[in-house]
Amino acid sequence: MGDVKIEASALSRSYRRADGAEVKALSAVDLRIEAGQFVCLVGPSGCGKTTLLQIIAGLVPPTGGSMVVNGQRVTGPGPSRGMVFQKDSVFPWMRVAANVEYGLSCRGVPKAERQAAAAHYLERVGLSHVAGAWPRELSGGMLKRVAVATVFANGADVLLLDEPFGALDYVTKRQLHDVLLTLWAEGEAGRRRTVMFVTHDVDEAMILADRIVVMRAGQIVDDLPVAADRPRTTDALLLPEMVRIKHILLTHLGLEAAR
Amino acid sequence: MTPRPGWLARNWASLAAIAAMAGVWEILSLIYTAEAAPGEPMVPGWEIVFGRTLLSLADYWGGGLGVPSVAEGAPPSYTAAVLAIISNSFDTIVRLYAGLAVGAVAGTVLGLAVSWSPWPRRVVDSPLQFLRTLPLLAMVPLFQLWFGTEFIGKVAFVAYGIGVIFFAGVANAVRNVPQIFIDNARTFGASRATLYRTVILPAILPELRATMLLALGTGWGAVLGAEYLGAQSGLGYMIVYSEQFAYLDRMFFVALLFVLYASVSYAIFDRLSRRWLDWTAKSGRAVAG
Repeated sequence: MGDVKIEASALSRSYRRADGAEVKALSAVDLRIEAGQFVCLVGPSGCGKTTLLQIIAGLVPPTGGSMVVNGQRVTGPGPSRGMVFQKDSVFPWMRVAANVEYGLSCRGVPKAERQAAAAHYLERVGLSHVAGAWPRELSGGMLKRVAVATVFANGADVLLLDEPFGALDYVTKRQLHDVLLTLWAEGEAGRRRTVMFVTHDVDEAMILADRIVVMRAGQIVDDLPVAADRPRTTDALLLPEMVRIKHILLTHLGLEAAR
Repeated sequence: MTPRPGWLARNWASLAAIAAMAGVWEILSLIYTAEAAPGEPMVPGWEIVFGRTLLSLADYWGGGLGVPSVAEGAPPSYTAAVLAIISNSFDTIVRLYAGLAVGAVAGTVLGLAVSWSPWPRRVVDSPLQFLRTLPLLAMVPLFQLWFGTEFIGKVAFVAYGIGVIFFAGVANAVRNVPQIFIDNARTFGASRATLYRTVILPAILPELRATMLLALGTGWGAVLGAEYLGAQSGLGYMIVYSEQFAYLDRMFFVALLFVLYASVSYAIFDRLSRRWLDWTAKSGRAVAG
């Protein structure tokens, strides 16, 4: 058991809809995530996954309870937590390399160091050849690679990914899983980063996660460890234990009857 | 990629359209021969415009540089006419660009301020939205009384007209910046100032280009409006002076100068802005075809 990296206690978030009704996006969520874990957050659309991620990122304040990351209460965004968004977040007015350097330049890291980090991570995601290109010249999958390189280059030890590959084709998605897992497994200075990966794709969660947290209607309804060895081959996904987990997940999503 | 066609190949249709307009004007001048005053045709043909009219502009040369003015008793000369055009154009253009610079900077700063935090919004937004509704040219006499008929008065007027446009354009453009870019910058720890410098300003540039084109048009109108009343030089002054004597041909000539200067300023701005906006997608295609 590693150190606790992320800890939500009685976390809730509600907002008022335009028609005046109060909507509870999260109600009394308790969650502890250890350092270095790869956690997938699975649940149907509108279950509060994204809200939970935004609270960890500090983009949205909770309306009740507390969110603690690295032993400190989250009061706003900060460079210890990097986020990859569902939609394209790469700045179209900066060339690819400048995008990857962005987080570092916000923190005043010297230019030579920034450039070295950007070059390193662009190489790791296989985009060295487009370092000087404009984002508009890149495909959707390449833009996601840039976003992944950017959060890794910034050195955040908590990575929050909000359905990052949802809009990509199957092949591109699988390639990006490999890129993400490789970078995660490498870690930085011998320490793996903690990853929270939101998805509604059961197979994606089974390929990536150490642990799958299932949410429904603003609450955590299940918490499943995934012990299969990595890399998870097609065969590994067919192990009885994995098939059992898949049945549980599909049942939670209402796609299979409980058995 | 196919090689880019030459300038003539790309622009022959526009050139032909301009030549056709000039031709229609010439035909009109032959058909419609009415005169505003004896010897002053309502539609002056090109031979008049670039002959007698051009020469008559020597009236606006105040002397100096070894070229005596008509007022000093010298006969009109083409040298004096060209000097008159240059000096009056220079006065107008300086007023325009001084006002443009002041107005663009002030409007942009105020437009950014209203998005910075709630207080500037409460203080600045409503009064400026109110000022926006005032018809610009109706304010000319007011500005003359406030700021005088000298250089400052005209620059202040142009700056006012352009500042209001820039304020509205910037405030609106900032509202249109996609939230995801702002969130993205914040998760990287960007401070408020960094966010404005690295995200808000570049993100609003494409919209500011449209604002700038609108402001250039308004600016030319405003500087003329300011010169109509009480100026002793400038293109607006030349038009008012010509109007008093029903010199239609001179007014037409000055109008042509306007077309020329406005086109040149649009072209220069277009070229500059293309460089800044290299990152936006370029598409020269029409909607269909």
